[in-house]
Amino acid sequence: MPEMLPKYVKLGYQYPVDHILTFLFIPIMAAVSIQILKLGPEEILTIWNSLHFDFVQILCSSFLVTLIATVYFMSKPRSIYLVDYACYKPPITSRVPFSTFMEHSRLILKDNPKSVEFQMRILERSGLGEETSLPPAIHYIPPNPTMEAARGEAEAVIFSAIDSLMQKTSIKPKDIDILIVNCSLFSPTPSLSAMVVNKYKLRSNIKSFNLSGMGCSAGLISIDLARDLLQVHPNSNALVVSTEIITPNYYQGSERAMLLPNCLFRMGGAAILLSNKRGDRNRAKYKLVHVVRTHKGADDKAYKCVYEQEDPQGKVGINLSKDLMIIAGEALKSNITTIGPLVLPASEQLLFLFTLIGRKIFNPKWKPYIPDFKQAFEHFCIHAGGRAVIDELQKNLQLSAEHVEASRMTLHRFGNTSSSSLWYELSYIEAKGRMKNGDRIWQIAFGSGFKCNSAVWKCNRRIKTPNNGPWQDCIDRYPVHIPEIVKL
Amino acid sequence: MVSSMAEGLIYDIKLSSVGPGTVTEPDMVHEPSDMDLAMKLHYLKVIYYFGKQAFEGLTTLKIKEPLFMVLNYFPVICGRFRRAESGRPYIKCNDCGVRFIEAKCEKTMDEWLEMTKENASLEKYLTPNQIIGPELGFSPTVLLQFTKFKCGGMSMGLSWAHVLGDAFSAAEFLNLLGKVVAGEKPNRPINLAHLKTNSTNPESPLTNTEDPLSVKRVGPVGDIWIPVNNCKMEAFSFSVNATQLSHLQSKISNNGTDFSPFEALSAVIWQCIGKIRPESEPKVVTICKMMEQNRADGNNLLISVVKAAYPIVEANPSELAALMKNAAIDKIEKIENAIEKDNGVSDFIVYGGNLTFANLEEAKFYEIDYRGEKPIYVSYRVDGVGDEGAVLVLPGPPKNGGRTVMAILPENEATELKSELKKWFMD
Repeated sequence: MPEMLPKYVKLGYQYPVDHILTFLFIPIMAAVSIQILKLGPEEILTIWNSLHFDFVQILCSSFLVTLIATVYFMSKPRSIYLVDYACYKPPITSRVPFSTFMEHSRLILKDNPKSVEFQMRILERSGLGEETSLPPAIHYIPPNPTMEAARGEAEAVIFSAIDSLMQKTSIKPKDIDILIVNCSLFSPTPSLSAMVVNKYKLRSNIKSFNLSGMGCSAGLISIDLARDLLQVHPNSNALVVSTEIITPNYYQGSERAMLLPNCLFRMGGAAILLSNKRGDRNRAKYKLVHVVRTHKGADDKAYKCVYEQEDPQGKVGINLSKDLMIIAGEALKSNITTIGPLVLPASEQLLFLFTLIGRKIFNPKWKPYIPDFKQAFEHFCIHAGGRAVIDELQKNLQLSAEHVEASRMTLHRFGNTSSSSLWYELSYIEAKGRMKNGDRIWQIAFGSGFKCNSAVWKCNRRIKTPNNGPWQDCIDRYPVHIPEIVKL
Repeated sequence: MVSSMAEGLIYDIKLSSVGPGTVTEPDMVHEPSDMDLAMKLHYLKVIYYFGKQAFEGLTTLKIKEPLFMVLNYFPVICGRFRRAESGRPYIKCNDCGVRFIEAKCEKTMDEWLEMTKENASLEKYLTPNQIIGPELGFSPTVLLQFTKFKCGGMSMGLSWAHVLGDAFSAAEFLNLLGKVVAGEKPNRPINLAHLKTNSTNPESPLTNTEDPLSVKRVGPVGDIWIPVNNCKMEAFSFSVNATQLSHLQSKISNNGTDFSPFEALSAVIWQCIGKIRPESEPKVVTICKMMEQNRADGNNLLISVVKAAYPIVEANPSELAALMKNAAIDKIEKIENAIEKDNGVSDFIVYGGNLTFANLEEAKFYEIDYRGEKPIYVSYRVDGVGDEGAVLVLPGPPKNGGRTVMAILPENEATELKSELKKWFMD
């Protein structure tokens, strides 16, 4: 019902409600000032003298004020800043055009033409482009996923991203206090975080963590963990590395539900530097405002919807259930319910409340009011899990094509890079020069579990269009029109 | 698809693909010319033998990198065939790439070269042998095999579908690879493919013209692009050094007419083959030469046919050489008309339709250098040769200055020909 109100009526409602405090404050101040002016200067002086200011009283009051102020400032959570981040750019030797992928599939699955057909249909509608990358081991017919190759991929992706980050931020390895690496499906011993410590010779008292098995939303889980650690450790910084290693996880069987990830997942990784140091306040790109995590694992269907298992031939792969989009929608609703009150302006929250009450009391047939998140955020980074995910969220949140452009173009250029896709999307927005000081960004990630995690950032300073980064050589070609079905 | 491992000689075979590094615009196609389609059942196989230094210390990725860069300039060889509505084949430039095969050999390169002197057909294990078909859209037209020998030497085997171009084009591709490895930028425009023209309506060709003798129509092979032979063809090669060559030329020269090495060698071999085929003397031979200047993309062949009016066995090689020297080159329109009769759908062969002599003396095989190293030896043959056989006259290793001759003949003829030839080169 509120959608039908003409625009100016809506604005007339929004502006006062959002700035209600100002609207209340002004009349009160006006009334008080008028009263004071009515009294005249001598009257004011008499009132002032009658207050009997005593030295002790003044001292105690100022002491109290100082005490309250100190307690307030001490208990305020530390501001966490994102100094900078870097995304891995795969080399041209890793490129996988559609035609090569299909030809290899045909040769590898020559006994299963139906499965090959299925893969072709998926690829045609996937929203991926011709420049996505797979690691060298997967280019072989049949793929050759040894542990050595997996480590090789991990080293190439992670070290390249970290080198790029160090160059951008001028940070020295010895200065890193906290290290968090998240990679869901490859978890060797020693861990990937130990691999980073070894390569860069990090300090022996570093606080390192390695998160594995947590799915595509693990990137924001790492950010959340970093934030909590930075609350406890003053004057520190944290290096967060998000990636997914494809080599050991390429499904070699022929079950259709498990072939889907092969078509979508591609090489990628990102390294992020977070800090709570005062000195970084001015040079940091973003400030972390909120992180909201929603876990639907308590529901059996949600728990099983992305499930790693063996197929009848004993080949291990990830089974995506048919209910995935429905469960994703539910998880999103949960997450929005929590994040809404934190970010939405008062006008939207009231509207939502009224519609909710109205549906309960007056008429259940009223359409539920979807809050307009476009008023809370300037930019949206939706995990590029697949075309269906982006379409679903665009519909649910009523976003325009430009809002989801970063997600769609990242899916096209890099494929589904799992936990690092949010950073490629952010990089796209920066590369297009759309990021302004003060802009608010909402990163939404979905992953196995089933989890829906959100992070809210605020742009901290003017960001020049970067001259390095994964989009550097192709940003001028974007945005591209992605057809519904690509003819192979 | 993959050549079988003879007695465990070639092992540890790995397949992958290499495509262009940058994206080719969508919907780019290449339409082979009529001459190209006449050659579609033939495959060029070139093997470059490099010493240890050329590939020392290189990982597979390092070998693949320059290929990705060079293929940016060859979108056509990275594409795959499709058929137009009329049935005429064309190439869709879809970046699928060339097949890249890695293999190891348990012999050292010297041992191998000794073995192949006796038995040239062993060389088929160093080149990929996949033909185009039965699925046109999923068959690579160019395949590369890198075989590492026990001593550290490496052979680079190229399989190049003749429909893409002749020996000069194949050599140009590999020479450019060497240049890119050296860090140079190829002097070649990138986009040579063009958007497909919608149903070109050719002027109805003269349906009554006879097919030229040089191009032989063969039974429909459908989508399996290899001619059907009645007998197994075998390759054997022999080298003629500079002294032997000039000796031969002087023997053959007649009344002051000098014959080129190609003409001299071909005439001699023609007569020898005549001797070993008494019932079916090759009275008609096809001569093939590549154009060197003003080359267009694809095949630039000058084909001529020579008819001997008298029995070959009795002929004087000088007469045969003279016939070859004065052979008139077939007009290209004659060949084009034969192909156009049903819009390029029919299947033809050039090599082996008649006994064919190909003059590849000027082919620039030895011009390549890989990281500053020249190949020790280059071997070249054609697969998909018809029953009459083919003789290829190739440049010899630069140090020797002579010629290498590769003969592809029915297998029972090889030994007989070798003994006949010995007579010419013994004295």
